Amino acid sequence: MAVANEVTQQPIPQRSLRIWVQDKALSQVGILFIILIVTLAVLASSNDNFLTSQNLFNQGRLLAEVGLMALPMTFIIITGGIDLSVGSILGLSAILVGYLWDTVGLPLEIAVVLAVLVGCLAGFLNGLFIVRVNVPPLIMTLATLAFYRGLAQGISEARSVTGYPEWFFGLGQGNILGVPTQLWILFIAIIISAVLLARTTLGRTLYAIGNNKVGARFSGLPVERVTLLIYTFSGLMAGISGVIFVSRFTTTRSDMGSGLELDAIAAVVLGGTSIFGGKGSIIGTVIGLVMIQLLKNGLAINGITSDATIVVIGSILIFAILVNNLIQRLRKTE
Amino acid sequence: MTAITTAQPTSTRFKPLTLLPLVLAILVFVVFQFMPFVNQPERGSTTLPVLTENRANNELELPTSGLILIPIAAGTLFLLGLWNLANEQIMRATSSMTALVGIIVLEYYVIFVMDYINKGATHLGSMGIAFWALLLLAIIMIAQTVLPRPRVEREFQLRSLLSNQESAIVIALVVLLLTVGISNPRFVSTNNILDVLQGNAYIAVAAIGMSMVIISGNIDISVGSLLGLLAIVSGRLVTSGAPVWVAWMAPLIVGPAIGAVIGFVIAYLRVPAIVVTLGMFSILKGILIIWTNGERVTDMPTEFFLAQMRPLGISMPIWFMIVLTILAAIWMRYSPVGRSFYAVGGNADAARLSGISQRRVIMQVFMLNGFFVGIASVLYATQLTIIQATPPPSLELFVITSAVVGGVSILGGKGTVIGAMLAAILLNTIRSGMIFINVSPFWIQAVQGILILITVLIDLLRRRRQAV
Repeated sequence: MAVANEVTQQPIPQRSLRIWVQDKALSQVGILFIILIVTLAVLASSNDNFLTSQNLFNQGRLLAEVGLMALPMTFIIITGGIDLSVGSILGLSAILVGYLWDTVGLPLEIAVVLAVLVGCLAGFLNGLFIVRVNVPPLIMTLATLAFYRGLAQGISEARSVTGYPEWFFGLGQGNILGVPTQLWILFIAIIISAVLLARTTLGRTLYAIGNNKVGARFSGLPVERVTLLIYTFSGLMAGISGVIFVSRFTTTRSDMGSGLELDAIAAVVLGGTSIFGGKGSIIGTVIGLVMIQLLKNGLAINGITSDATIVVIGSILIFAILVNNLIQRLRKTE
Repeated sequence: MTAITTAQPTSTRFKPLTLLPLVLAILVFVVFQFMPFVNQPERGSTTLPVLTENRANNELELPTSGLILIPIAAGTLFLLGLWNLANEQIMRATSSMTALVGIIVLEYYVIFVMDYINKGATHLGSMGIAFWALLLLAIIMIAQTVLPRPRVEREFQLRSLLSNQESAIVIALVVLLLTVGISNPRFVSTNNILDVLQGNAYIAVAAIGMSMVIISGNIDISVGSLLGLLAIVSGRLVTSGAPVWVAWMAPLIVGPAIGAVIGFVIAYLRVPAIVVTLGMFSILKGILIIWTNGERVTDMPTEFFLAQMRPLGISMPIWFMIVLTILAAIWMRYSPVGRSFYAVGGNADAARLSGISQRRVIMQVFMLNGFFVGIASVLYATQLTIIQATPPPSLELFVITSAVVGGVSILGGKGTVIGAMLAAILLNTIRSGMIFINVSPFWIQAVQGILILITVLIDLLRRRRQAV
C-alpha cells in the first residue's frame, strides 16, 4: 500500500510523505504503537520510578519467557493455527532440567540441552499429529496441554529441585553489558523471527497458508513441512523459556508456566495478528508484549493490585482489537 | 467407490469374514467356560479363598488370576481392530470384542455374586444397578453385531442408532467400567457411580452450553471464570440474608447478562470470539478475586445446598444433568432456533442467504451458554459447604474437551449436546477410575491427557472412514 503510494505520488513528495505517515500511523501496528506511547506517557508521568532503566530492564527480565513463546506463536497464528501447549512444554522442560541434573545425575549442561530437546520433541509431536492425522491444532494442543503438564507432574512427583550451581543463574539473573542475559536472547530471537517472517520465502509461505491453505498447497508450497517446522520451533522456544524460568526462579516446580500460553496468545492478538490467520507481524507482537508487561508493572507501581491488573489487561485486549477493527473498517469505506 | 456405496449399500452383500470377530468372541467365551477357576469352586477355584480372606479385611477384591483375561481380550481387540481397519469393519470388530469382554466379566460377576450368596453375603446390594446396566449393554452390543445393517431409507434403526459418537462414548464408558471394575469391584458399585456422576454433573451442564457455542462456530474460554464468579454471587447473596430461591435464581440472570455482553461484542463490534472470551477470562477472574479478596464463602444455611438434596433417592445434580440434556437435545434438534445454530456454524454464508441473522444467533448462543453456566454454578456452589474464591482450575479445558470428545466439531455445525454430556461423564469416570486402580496421583493428568488424545484420534479416524 505504502509502496504503491510512493510510486504513484512521486511528483509531489510532501503529499506522498503525508499519506505515507498517515498510512503507517493508521495501520494496525501504528495504532498499537501510538497506544503504547500514550500508555508509557501516562504511566511515566504518574510515577517517577517507572521510567528508569533499572525498572525497565527488570520488566524485560519478566517478559522474556512469554516473549520467546509469543514469537513462534505469531507464526502459528498467522497460519491459522494455535498452540495452547506452550505453557505445559515450558513446565516439562523446567522439570526435566531439575530431574536430569538432580535425580539422574547428569551434568547440568547436558541436562539443559536435553530439556530443550524434549521441548523441541514435544512441539514436533504436536506438529506431526496436526499435519499427518489432520487433528485441528486447537484440539491437539488442548490435549497435549493436559498431557505435557501431566508428564511434568508425574516426573517431578511434586518435589522441587533447588541448589543449582552459581553459573546457571547467570542465564536468568545475570547481565551482559548491563542488559539482562535473557533480553539478549529475546533480541536475537526477535530479529531472526522478524527477518524470517518478513523477508524470506518461509515467511511468505506462512501468510499463504493462513490465507488459503488449499491454494498454498496447489501453488506447490511445502505446507506440511512448514507447519511441522513452526510447531517444532514453538516447542524449542518453550523449552528455552523453561530453562530461563528455572534459572530466574532458582527452583523447579511442576506447575511452572501454567497459563502462560494465554499471555503469549494475548500478546500476539494484541499485536494485530488476526486469530483467523493470514495477517500479523513480529513487530506487532513485540509491541503487544511490551504493552502488557508495562501495564502490569505501571499499575503495580501505582499501587493497583495484580488482580485488578488482569482486569485491565483483559479489557485492553478486547478494546485494542475493537478500536483497530473500527479504524480499519472506516479506512475501507473511505 | 463412493458413488457405488451411496447408490447401493455394499452392506446388503454378505461377507463371511465380517463374522470372524463374532466367531472368535464366541470361541474365547466357550474356552473360558472350561478354565479351572470359573465354574468349579470345589476344584481349587481361586475365587473362594480370596473372597473369604478379603471379607476379613472388609474388601471386595476379585481373584487376581481373573485379571489375565483382560490383557488377552484387550490384545485380541487391539489386533482385530488393526486388522479390521483395513477391512472397513471397525464397528463390527470393536462391538464383538467389547461384547466378549462384557460377557466374560459379567459371568465372572455372576459367579462371584453366587459365591457370595452361598457364603451368606451382606454387601450384595451395592452392585445391583451397575450389574444390570452392564448386562443390558452387553446384550445391546451383541445385538448390534448380529443384526443386519439398516437400509439407507430406514435410518432410525438400532444399528444406526449405535454407530455414532454417542454410542462410541457409551461403549468406551462400559469398557472402562468393566476393566476398572474387575480390578476393583467397588468402582462399579452403585454408590460410587452415583458419586462420580453427582460430583461432576456441573461440568456436564456447562458442557451443554459450550457445545451450543461451538456448534454455532464460536468458542468460550471464559466459562471457568464465569462459573466461579456466579457461584460466589449465589453464595454471597444467601449469606447476606437473601432468600434461598433468590440466591439460586441470581446466577441464572447474571449469567445470561454477561453472556449477552460477550455476544454483543462478538456480534455487533465484530471482535473474534476467542479474543473476547480470552479477555473476559481475565476480566471475570480479576473481578472475582478483587470482590472476594480471596476469601471463600462459608456458613451458608442448610436449605441452600441444592446439590445435596436427593429427590427419589437420586441426587439433584444428576436430575439436572439428565433433564437439561434431554430438553436441550430435543430443542437443538427440533426447534428453528436450535437448527439455526447448526446452520450458522456449518456455513455462515448459506445461513445468511437463507435469512438467518448471524448476529441474533451469536447473541442467543452466548446468552444460553450463560444460562447453562449459571445452572452449573448453582450446582457447584451448593455441593460443598464452602465456595472457593478462585475459579475451578482449568475448568474451561474440561468443558471444551468434553464437547470436542463428545463429537462437537470445533469448526462448528456438527455435534450433539448428548455427546457432550456423555463425554463429560466419560472424562470424569476416567479420572475417578484411575484413583481406583491405584494410579499414582502424580501421573493421573498425564494418563488423562493420553486418553483424551486417543479418544480424539479414534474419533477422527472413524469419521474419515465414514466420509470415505
